[in-house]
Amino acid sequence: MKEHIIELLSGALPMVNLESDFLFSELDSLGVTTILMLLSEEYGIQLEARDATPKNLKTIDSIVKMVEEKLAKE
Amino acid sequence: MTLEQQIERFAKTTPDKAAVITGNETLSYSSLWGRVQEEALRLGLKEGQPHVFVATQDTDFIVTYLAVHVCGAVAVPLEASTPKERQQQIRDEVNLQSSIFNVSDILYTTGTTGKAKGVMISSRAWTANAENLIDRLGFTSDLLFIICGPLNHLGSLSKIYPTLMTGATLYILESLKDMNAFFSVFELPFQKFATFLVPSSIRMLLQVASKDLAAVASKIDFIETGAAAISQSDMESLCRILPSSRLFNTYASTETGIVCSYEYSKYGCEPGLLGKPMKHSSVRIDEDGRVICSGLTIMSGYVGAPELTADVLRDGEVFTSDIGILDGQGMLHLKGRQDDVINVGGYKVNPAEVEDAVNGFEPIADCICIPARHILLGTVPKLLYVPKQGHEVRPKDIAGFLRGHLENYKIPLLYEAVDAIRHTYNGKLDRKSYQKY
Repeated sequence: MKEHIIELLSGALPMVNLESDFLFSELDSLGVTTILMLLSEEYGIQLEARDATPKNLKTIDSIVKMVEEKLAKE
Repeated sequence: MTLEQQIERFAKTTPDKAAVITGNETLSYSSLWGRVQEEALRLGLKEGQPHVFVATQDTDFIVTYLAVHVCGAVAVPLEASTPKERQQQIRDEVNLQSSIFNVSDILYTTGTTGKAKGVMISSRAWTANAENLIDRLGFTSDLLFIICGPLNHLGSLSKIYPTLMTGATLYILESLKDMNAFFSVFELPFQKFATFLVPSSIRMLLQVASKDLAAVASKIDFIETGAAAISQSDMESLCRILPSSRLFNTYASTETGIVCSYEYSKYGCEPGLLGKPMKHSSVRIDEDGRVICSGLTIMSGYVGAPELTADVLRDGEVFTSDIGILDGQGMLHLKGRQDDVINVGGYKVNPAEVEDAVNGFEPIADCICIPARHILLGTVPKLLYVPKQGHEVRPKDIAGFLRGHLENYKIPLLYEAVDAIRHTYNGKLDRKSYQKY
């Protein structure tokens, strides 16, 4: 899943270093919204603004964890 | 009365009232005025002396900005992502002018003509802008106005004025990135909230935060948008989610100031409709359909560029590159632009500036920057590029290179490697042939 998410997001966010340990600080509001929208569509889950916390978007691993938890709930 | 004089007055009449709030700090009117006076002494600027500084989204910015004015000097706030080399160029450019009189600010923008330049704005123009906004949008002293856009940009910077000139309260957020932080502002004990959002920010909130927006609907007095076109469907969605809020679409630019605003929640949603000119402004359309603005809000000119100024500012009128019409009621309808400038969420991007920067990247043989549709931002710059033979160039490589050369908003979001770029017979980029790309 991690590789797939990196591939998906790197196409939409070419300026962002997705391997960063401080991913949230690299993002702007467009980046945050793009991640929420792309992952919602790709995995059939509903990611909303309240999911876009600095903790959930800290690294690519925390993003994977957020998606896995949503999938488990829905 | 100037903004600084009003703040001094409120520091005496309502000293404990919150003037500026950020995530970790609240400044009352008296503490704000105290800090401004201290900072003015520390800066020790001369009258008319330009002071270049990076626009941070915090109380320090507000204090510095006001202190520069108290000194009688000229504030030159820069976009936070401006590359160091470019910052130095701007310092050199403004320092060539040893003193600039009757000018309060110089705002750097791509603006009306497509080239980055410093727009000089007088204190009188700022006051007129503020009075236009107070009159049309209805700023009142019980309001908490949320700023979540960059403070070097007219859209957000202009809101400091009506907010603090009416004795209301400003809340400054770094951006809309942390939407939870944005919505937590509505938990503060204020009766009325308002904000300025560019159309792409409205689109983002509608996409991922419509429930949160609906939850605070009763607290939102008004939302102003502007700087780029908002779609009819987004206007209608916002009207549905915020049935009791006043929603405005405003026409403004750094050169013209804040000119028209239309309350689409009251009078109906129509794309491009921007309403009648405000009390200190006038609009006319020339025979080519070009929008021409005059009145107290217009700029004083471009710094160090008398020829460019003469081209845009003639006999007290600003000749924009916008195309529009005035209807029978005198309301302005925007129809498009006359030039190649790409409007990205309110920021103007000159494609030639992007291409010049990309051509400095060794593995690229040729390129063109064109406007393309984007689901959130409306229009964004897209780069079509031809890699040199034997080179494999990824979008990430180009974006990484551009980061050191351009402000972030100018860096293309979309990329496509192509075999060749079309040129005209005389070797220029054939932009027209990519219009429907």
